Amino acid sequence: MNTDKHGWKRILLRHETILLFVLVVEWLLFYYFGTSMNRRGITVGFGTMDRQFDILRHSCEIGLLALALTPVILTGGIDLSIGSLLGLTAIVFGKLWHDAHLSIGMAAVCAVGVGALAGGLNATLITTLRIPALIVTLGTYSLFRGLAEAITHGSVTYTDFPASFLFLGQERWLGLPAQAWLFIVVAIATWLLVHRTTFGRSFRAIGFSPEGTRYAGISVERRLTMVYVLAGIVAALAAIIYTARLGQAKADAGTGYELFAITAVVLGGTSIFGGIGSVHGTLLGVAAIAVLKNGLACLPIVIRHNSAEELSGMMTGALLLLALCSSVLPKILSTWRSRRQSHLPQQTKIA
Amino acid sequence: MKQIIASLVVAGFALAGISSHAADKLIVAMLPKAKGNAYFISCKGGADKAAKELGVELLFDGPTDSNAAKQNEIVENWITLGVDAIAVAAENKEGISTALRKAQKAGVKVLTYDADALPDARSFFVNQATPEGIGYTLMDEAARLCNNEGEFAIITATLTAANMREWQKNIEARLKDKYPKMKLVATRPCDDLKDKAQSEATALMSANPNLKCIMAICSPGVPGAAEAVKQAGKTGKVKVLGLGLPNENKRYVHSGVTDSVILWNTEDLGYLAVYAATKLAKGELKPGDKTVTAGKLGEFKIDGDNIMLGKPFIFNKDNIDKFDF
Repeated sequence: MNTDKHGWKRILLRHETILLFVLVVEWLLFYYFGTSMNRRGITVGFGTMDRQFDILRHSCEIGLLALALTPVILTGGIDLSIGSLLGLTAIVFGKLWHDAHLSIGMAAVCAVGVGALAGGLNATLITTLRIPALIVTLGTYSLFRGLAEAITHGSVTYTDFPASFLFLGQERWLGLPAQAWLFIVVAIATWLLVHRTTFGRSFRAIGFSPEGTRYAGISVERRLTMVYVLAGIVAALAAIIYTARLGQAKADAGTGYELFAITAVVLGGTSIFGGIGSVHGTLLGVAAIAVLKNGLACLPIVIRHNSAEELSGMMTGALLLLALCSSVLPKILSTWRSRRQSHLPQQTKIA
Repeated sequence: MKQIIASLVVAGFALAGISSHAADKLIVAMLPKAKGNAYFISCKGGADKAAKELGVELLFDGPTDSNAAKQNEIVENWITLGVDAIAVAAENKEGISTALRKAQKAGVKVLTYDADALPDARSFFVNQATPEGIGYTLMDEAARLCNNEGEFAIITATLTAANMREWQKNIEARLKDKYPKMKLVATRPCDDLKDKAQSEATALMSANPNLKCIMAICSPGVPGAAEAVKQAGKTGKVKVLGLGLPNENKRYVHSGVTDSVILWNTEDLGYLAVYAATKLAKGELKPGDKTVTAGKLGEFKIDGDNIMLGKPFIFNKDNIDKFDF
């Protein structure tokens, strides 16, 4: 009985549960305050299906990057270059299609190949030269963006993609925005990889102690290469749906996305030092940020003051800090309580 | 359960308060390229006046930096908010057009101002001045300041912005036709930021010691370049001119750093855009119309699907104090 109660409490106080609660409350609040009827008697704002689909559509790219980052951060690493890599692979994709006259499919395959190579470059520098991931990917962050700008001379924008390709970014398929299916597939694959395979366990082990993992007979280098290459591949996939959504491939694609993605991962409860975290936490983090951003833009008071963008930045930051505090709070409380309990018997003795 | 949801929704409407407020008012949404840019703030000044006169609700929102992807998201947001008309200054022609077509499909009237989208994605473009008028006026004025010979450089917003590229093309065409002794040595982007324009101008002057003139074709670029020239102690030696707002440049014009500021009346542009958008939403302005009347400003000519604001205007020492925007 006692252990059962304890287990429930643990689940309730778990970071993911708290975050799910925050997400639901957030959603209900926006639904309540952000939905209205317009002049023509049509329901508009947050409570429309279109809005919900827009939220899903807008979170696919950052969501993919956050999924790719989860295993990376679990191993105690970081990849700052994925936003830039999104830009580079978008340009590669656009150029191969537009200038080299490859088919959309071939261009996409090549773009994914470039993503994998770029991830491989990160991995090689991190594993063989033993340079910290933060430094390596800070370098490739500039390198990939610079390459994208160099390829386009900072001025070429690839557009006029065929409608069949734009379908992927702008239309619905089987009831959902088309790109959401890709997101769902990648999410399931990542979840299985992290939570249901020995690879996933080894990522966490590396995050706790790379040396210990090595002594346990696991090839740390190979596992690290795997997570960075996967991150590169997923960044390329994000680039393709980004291009399809906007109908353009431009060198500034995905600028700053790496920070949004890291925010989502950390908000989802993954420790930035590695070892602890989950894919479903990341998904909740992505959803919480996307709902916040889109919901704010529907609030009448925000609309009147035309301040959706500034507010969404502020509120995302506040949400992240609050979530981090709330996940630390139970630990502090329990240590405080156990300390008090350990004092209690002594007091009775004295009395 | 359904009843609970329904009552929640009703209560939501009551609390949100937008229903009673907006129900009788037409909503016009205006999208600038970057909302902190003084140029668009002065457009908003005119837009606010027009909205007041017309009794429409004006939403004015845009990216905090010039960002094409964010512009799309804002337009998509407005579609689900059910606005009646959208007036857009496009950061990227093709990029924004996908979102504008979606708006049109949802029954929202769309027009562009300041920077156009693709023709099929909007009904009208409020054309502040033809690229030819602007390009030629800028080049003629630069040539006048340099006595028709010498090196000059251009500072632009971004190398990709569609209207900047159009202007540049016309500047270069005029240069080729009329001023064989003038030479364009460099074109640098400043990302619509004054401090970046300043550092670019400083770099241009040290890389090109014979530079006689800096032409800034985005509004933050003109005071940025002027500040660089002033700090380098090259006032009078390197002339500054460009497209900009009178107020930001008054100081430099009076101290002789900047010679001419070229622009149209931005308040009138915002005013006309809101008038045209409202009339479009009400069905009073239709494709094929030859003129449109905008309140106190009177009648404007429509050339095809371009609503013409008029000729560019040159602000200088003699007249700049008469303007406040």
